[in-house]
Amino acid sequence: MQATPLLTIKDLRVTVAGREILTGMNLVVNAGEVHAIMGPNGSGKSTLAHVLAGREGYTITAGSAIFRDQDLLAMAPEERARAGLFLGFQYPVEVPGVSNVYLLRAALNARRKARGEAEIDTAQFLRLVREKAKLMQLNESFLNRGVNEGFSGGEKKRNEIFQMAVLEPVLGILDETDSGLDIDALKVVANGVNSQRGPDRAFVLVTHYQRLLDYIQPDFVHVLAGGRIIRTGDKSLALELEAQGYDQTVAAARNQSQIAR
Amino acid sequence: MNTVLSPAWRDACQRNRDAIPQLTWLTGLRDSALSLLSSRGLPDSGQEDWRYTNLADYLQRGAAGLIDPDHANDSAAQLQLILDDGRAVSPVAGAHALPAGIELYSLRELGSELRDHAASLLAGKDREGEPPALAALNLALLSDGWYLRSTSTATGTPPALHLRLAGSRAGIAQLRLLVDVAPGSRLNLRIEHQGPAGTLANAVTQIRCGAGSHLDLLRIQDLPADSLLTETTQIELDADATLAATSLDFGGQLVRQDLSIALSGPGAKANIHGAFLVDGRRHVDNHTTVEHRAPDTSSREIFHGLAAGHGRGVFNGRIIVRPGAVRTASALNSRNLLLEKTAEIDTKPELEIYTDDVRCSHGATTGQLDANALFYLRSRGLGPAEARQALITAFLHATLAQIVPEDLSMQVAARLQARLAAMSKAAS
Repeated sequence: MQATPLLTIKDLRVTVAGREILTGMNLVVNAGEVHAIMGPNGSGKSTLAHVLAGREGYTITAGSAIFRDQDLLAMAPEERARAGLFLGFQYPVEVPGVSNVYLLRAALNARRKARGEAEIDTAQFLRLVREKAKLMQLNESFLNRGVNEGFSGGEKKRNEIFQMAVLEPVLGILDETDSGLDIDALKVVANGVNSQRGPDRAFVLVTHYQRLLDYIQPDFVHVLAGGRIIRTGDKSLALELEAQGYDQTVAAARNQSQIAR
Repeated sequence: MNTVLSPAWRDACQRNRDAIPQLTWLTGLRDSALSLLSSRGLPDSGQEDWRYTNLADYLQRGAAGLIDPDHANDSAAQLQLILDDGRAVSPVAGAHALPAGIELYSLRELGSELRDHAASLLAGKDREGEPPALAALNLALLSDGWYLRSTSTATGTPPALHLRLAGSRAGIAQLRLLVDVAPGSRLNLRIEHQGPAGTLANAVTQIRCGAGSHLDLLRIQDLPADSLLTETTQIELDADATLAATSLDFGGQLVRQDLSIALSGPGAKANIHGAFLVDGRRHVDNHTTVEHRAPDTSSREIFHGLAAGHGRGVFNGRIIVRPGAVRTASALNSRNLLLEKTAEIDTKPELEIYTDDVRCSHGATTGQLDANALFYLRSRGLGPAEARQALITAFLHATLAQIVPEDLSMQVAARLQARLAAMSKAAS
């Protein structure tokens, strides 16, 4: 069976304030796959996640990103979301006064409107959010609270996965969702992601540590260093990184690529 | 420097002195008002309290309309009672039953036994110990006014008694509402300003909250374009009285509100929320004074300002703690959002504390919509306008949350949404 590419990134180069952060990034994510992007601090992991979601402040100097046959980089952040892309934030923003249900309903309806569908029925909506809240072990009282207002770090991360569960994106990009989580919260978050895996959907996990990958089994592990992917492997690569550290792996990969040249 | 009272105003005041036979019981008060105006004059932008708001145009238009006011017609139109079904009726008709425990009289029909109550409210003084100039002008020129008394002791939150104050285009409408909340009683009062485009009005509302009473007060100013309004509101709280006041400015061209709250009895407590929206070339100026005159009184005041286009908002909040008002607790906050660089908000909290043993805090912030929050909402699929509106609604959330009962709060929230949508449409 022919794989269906959801996201194709080619030679992507991005600068922030004149400094090149992504230096020729290539990545293909097919439907049904889970990719882990690992790398040392400052390697460009979060920049990649932000650029894909459409955050301002980044200058794209070369390359392309095609998402479901559309030029992703030409789309506004909300258009990307409506087309099925979701970014789980490393630092979810508190929005006091805007309730979680309000946001989810507005977000769902924006997607439906973009697809030419009617607004979601209230009873159906409530059933959906309750079911997903239960999955993420979020108390229903969370639903009417302000978005992330007064949430602990772990609650904020769970809320991101909860939002993703309700919005059912085609491609979920999770930016360091595991950072700051204790082991119980990590399991809940991993369980939330695993329950959403399917043949039509894909996930990109941006992470610094191998720990998350014990619970979410990736199909591919990429090492990002100096703004590009220097090595790709299966989940054993994550274990190797954990055992040897980034320095050695990055140095070895650089030597190899020089030999190849 | 004050603007000297011009002959046109003086003559109008003198003509009006005895013009209405049913109001001759006010003559003495009117004489005092005119003598005060003669010595103090009308507000002028040379005065510190008026440095941001220039009344020249307002006074000029007002003076042009002073000739031959039609006293016969303006009385009934000035105040309307809005029934549950939305119909506006004149309360003088008497055919419409007011809720139990509420009495409402035209000053022309006020029985002699209630005139003393009304007169003491009419003579209400500002922090300097004199009636404010615009209240004096109103008294000298009014052709009628209203006295509302609440004696209801029903528990729970009653539906709001909905009154509409209507200005007009012909001259300055002098609107006067006096409210007595009897000791131990509860009142939920909603006052809305209304009028045609180009409305000109000078409103004065004076309220006394008796010992142990509770007042929920919602004031909404949503006047159409080109409307000029000055408004003086004085509220005095006796011992253990509580007040939840909400003031909203959605419309108007030039609006100045002076809201003064005096906590005169021990244990009195006031919560004051205000919000103003200025876009286009609107100018809204809120000056508030909370005066702690007795021990163990507390006040909490938050004003939210939102400015877009070439709108200009002014907030000046003053807290005064008089000698002897020990154990006062007071907090004052001014939070402001500038949606565009062309908009302006001038804010100034002021504390005057004349006693020890008090807890007072104040603060003012002015900023823009949080870019991180905007991106977060857009990354979930909300369009830029929708995301902005959600953040603005969130900004004003606390103000609306104070309004009771809940269905009224939701109704006002829906109006705010419509107003914000129109604002964002105008901006785009």
